[in-house]
Amino acid sequence: MSKDLNIWLDNLLEDIESVQFRRKSSRRVRVDVAAEALPALLELLQGHASYVHLSAITCVDWIEEDEFELIYHLWSYEAHSLVSAHTRIPRDPGVYLSIYDLYQPAAFFERDIHEMFGVYFEGSPDMEKFILTEWNGPPPMRKDFDSEAFVNQTFEWEEYRPKWLEEIEAEGGGITTRPEDVRR
Amino acid sequence: MRPENYQAISQPASNEYELNFGPNHPGIEGNYAFRVKLNGDTVVSARADAGYLHRGFEKLMEGRLWIQNIALVPRICVPDPVPMEVCYSLAIEDLCGLEVPERAQWIRVMQLEMSRLAAHLFAFGGHAATTGMYTPMFWGVADRDLILDRFEELTGGRVYSIYNIPGGVRREVPEGFLGRLSSLLDYLESRLPDYDSLFFTNQVFVKRARGVGTLTQEKALKWGVTGPNLRATGLAFDVRRDDPYLVYDRLEFDIPTEQGGDALARNLIRRAELKQSIHILRQVIERLPSVTGPIRAPIPNPLAWNVPAGETYTRVESSKGELAYYIVSDGSDKPYRVHVRGPSAMHAVQVLEKLAIGSRLEDIAQIMFSLDACPPEVDR
Repeated sequence: MSKDLNIWLDNLLEDIESVQFRRKSSRRVRVDVAAEALPALLELLQGHASYVHLSAITCVDWIEEDEFELIYHLWSYEAHSLVSAHTRIPRDPGVYLSIYDLYQPAAFFERDIHEMFGVYFEGSPDMEKFILTEWNGPPPMRKDFDSEAFVNQTFEWEEYRPKWLEEIEAEGGGITTRPEDVRR
Repeated sequence: MRPENYQAISQPASNEYELNFGPNHPGIEGNYAFRVKLNGDTVVSARADAGYLHRGFEKLMEGRLWIQNIALVPRICVPDPVPMEVCYSLAIEDLCGLEVPERAQWIRVMQLEMSRLAAHLFAFGGHAATTGMYTPMFWGVADRDLILDRFEELTGGRVYSIYNIPGGVRREVPEGFLGRLSSLLDYLESRLPDYDSLFFTNQVFVKRARGVGTLTQEKALKWGVTGPNLRATGLAFDVRRDDPYLVYDRLEFDIPTEQGGDALARNLIRRAELKQSIHILRQVIERLPSVTGPIRAPIPNPLAWNVPAGETYTRVESSKGELAYYIVSDGSDKPYRVHVRGPSAMHAVQVLEKLAIGSRLEDIAQIMFSLDACPPEVDR
């Protein structure tokens, strides 16, 4: 049964235009699909091919191409196969459709991506802040956010000079830092 | 939320009240909080509040070498760190097309099952404490410590072993280790009847846990539940068997299921999995001496290692459910993107919020511990 389902799906996906299909191994399939067609593809996979488990949604920031890549990982408990559906949306304005009505776990992943990448999902039940409740800066997982530069701008470096170290140094011991390693 | 930023909002008169459950509460696993709305002691609604343990692993990993991240990933889940290392290593091996020597694969399975035993002992011990039974907790933690002793001997580290690297494992198994592991397994197995009479068949626990946080299989599939929590609803799915990695397809083990779907069933699954893990480890002890060969594949200079461009989605079965890494490489010496899909990302947020509704205040802790939710996986 499960083998037939895989063959049926492979043939079907190969026939659809605007869908690029590649079977990477016996249990991994990569599908590249246009952003408009993705919800329809997911509906097909869930409704007719038993892909009921949304394992994850991943966002990748391709800053040089000015695009976000969204990847939907779906698992079928019957066909024992994982389909990764890749789609790309423009970085600006970074708005896409929620798939919450198809897969309820999407709510968590969409909320997370919204918080970390600033992609807004229309129709998602909850886009409130979750992890970075008191963060007002830009979405930190974007490639143009440099956390080290942010730290240097926001905080001041302090020399760490505990008393015990001074005592050790008075006796001639201690930590030596090469001049080129001293933080400035 | 920090207390100084909390602002009370005036509400119209009602018999409902809001309670902050956590972040520092004995009924909460780790640094995590719940904002619970209650009517009497019945939960009307619950909102998860995460972020107390956010360390930004995914961002940090983008700035470090592939090999440096090995020291970072086990910190994502404290009670069960080995699957994190193994899954990350498997992903890099997949990107590079590295063949892991067979001996290393067996050693990895050994570590994974030891870690599962330790995590399950921790999990049901924690659950026992939420029902006011502290002895099983002390026993669980003490027996887990014996496993950590073996980890220390094998890897040098008790909790975070950092023993796996892409291509294999770091060191050979010490002499006499398998014998000592074997006697530890004998000891743990002899403890199981004690655990049964102390905890799993104890009416204090059974009556408290039965019917608490009940999940039907239909709901579990809809809400993205995985791992022992899914098996407690009757679906025999396990990544180790259905999407096998390492040498799990050559090992014999059962996938225990329960029909209840409640806190009791979830604990009984963990009890049954303790037995299965011991069974798997016995097979590893029997087979490992006859599997000879290197323990790691040759890898390029790890400090200047450009992993070929590509992407991969790698999954393993951790003690808490399905753990997955999505890794993108752009061909440089650092990952372009690492996404960690922790099993508790579902269990600790949506599933817990929904299961809490209608339950009593004192059962929230039971539901959380029976789901074995691990907040660091949510925050990352």
